[in-house]
Amino acid sequence: MFNLIRRDVILQKRQLLLFIPFIVFFIIMEANPALIFLVASLIIPFNTYVYDEKVETNILLNSLPYTRTEIIASRYLGAIIYMVLAIGVTSLTLFAFNKPFTMTDIAISCSLFLLFAAFTFPLFYIFKPGYIFPIIMISFLLLAGIGPTIMLFLAEHLTPITDFIFNLSVPALYTGATLGIMIVYVISWGITNIIYQRKAF
Amino acid sequence: MENVVEFTNVTKKFKDFSVKNIDLQVKQGFATGFIGANGAGKSTTIKMMMNLLRPDVGEIKLFGLDYMKHEKAIKERIGFVYDGNVYFEGLNLKDIKRIVAPAYKQWDDTLFYQYVEKFKLPLNKAMKTFSKGMQMKASLAIALSHHAELIIMDEPTAGLDPIFRRELLDLLQELMIDGNRTIFFSTHITTDLDRIADYIAFIQSGELVFNQSIHDVAENYALVKGGLDLLDRDTEKAFIHVHRASTGFEALTDNIKAVKNIFGDSVAIDHASLEDIMYYLKGGIHHV
Repeated sequence: MFNLIRRDVILQKRQLLLFIPFIVFFIIMEANPALIFLVASLIIPFNTYVYDEKVETNILLNSLPYTRTEIIASRYLGAIIYMVLAIGVTSLTLFAFNKPFTMTDIAISCSLFLLFAAFTFPLFYIFKPGYIFPIIMISFLLLAGIGPTIMLFLAEHLTPITDFIFNLSVPALYTGATLGIMIVYVISWGITNIIYQRKAF
Repeated sequence: MENVVEFTNVTKKFKDFSVKNIDLQVKQGFATGFIGANGAGKSTTIKMMMNLLRPDVGEIKLFGLDYMKHEKAIKERIGFVYDGNVYFEGLNLKDIKRIVAPAYKQWDDTLFYQYVEKFKLPLNKAMKTFSKGMQMKASLAIALSHHAELIIMDEPTAGLDPIFRRELLDLLQELMIDGNRTIFFSTHITTDLDRIADYIAFIQSGELVFNQSIHDVAENYALVKGGLDLLDRDTEKAFIHVHRASTGFEALTDNIKAVKNIFGDSVAIDHASLEDIMYYLKGGIHHV
């Protein structure tokens, strides 16, 4: 199954040459470090779907000695592995450019990346090829655009919940968030797995 | 004789098409040609054989194993070649090999490079720049490089020029010299089969009409020609289908003995080619 994860690099080796210039561009644009980490994490896992949404790729992968469970597992585990690698490379680049960043930046981008992956990965197996990229782009922009406003609105109007969150100790808050995100990710994995098992090629 | 592939009463329904009650055995060590018109159900059957589709009803076993429990073990032993290119078209053959090779425990790099050399395939050019014939050769090189016991091919000769088609058939023939290897391939070009197939499976409108040795097919079916005056409601019963023309009739029979009894020497009985059989069986088996 590790081969399936490694496959992404072989497929994208040319695009990967653009990886560092891309990060540098964001750094020069003075983007928030959390956003840079997030965008860097997104590149490989989502680029893979340019290939994987094609029927031919699914026919190939399913004709090779892999099970469908392994193919989906490689998506979800691969996303985490590439996220870690992307954060490593981005940290080094930021460091080289003498840009400060905090562990909180990394934690925020990791959480957002995992949540975004958890919500979008199943969609890749539900929608027909060709439709999915516009949907993902629009949902990403929507989330980035109006997401914070919604959160602020909710924070103001659902005061009991806000109070509850603010009353938590910092370790409890972090543990809770980590657990929550892990649960969402695992549920998404399970759903995608069920969808993929039923697919016909 | 052992069956490498065994379909028992397999049915798969789609909205506007279905394959029904397929009982198919592919015998080990032989080449089985799978024929049928476009849309007869060949690709659906092959997809079920590869577990890309699952049957609604029935059982499919490969090497005596079930896909539910032994998916990886089964696929280790299969080499596949599809009608279209399934490999990433932006990649070159070397990178495709890098992706495919580690999937197989028995991958043989030396063998792969032997085929690459034999087929004169470029290693550093993107797949999409390959001609149809080259893509086929590349798929074949990959399919043959992990010592597969069963080679499954969906329309391998479609869209190939006559010369390469012959080369391919010669190559398949060579592969069959190793007695353990089994080849199952679909085609609608029946002349491919005369050269290499030992068995013929014929599918029509989603139903398997027959699965016999090429020798039996030749013995069981015949083309009968004679004058129109010989035909009447009783004598026609000996035929599967009759084609009438002003000069006489031509008919397909699967009961040569009966035809000889009824008509004696008044008709000419000829060998029926696979194409004749496909043509006359079109529209289902019905005695006119």
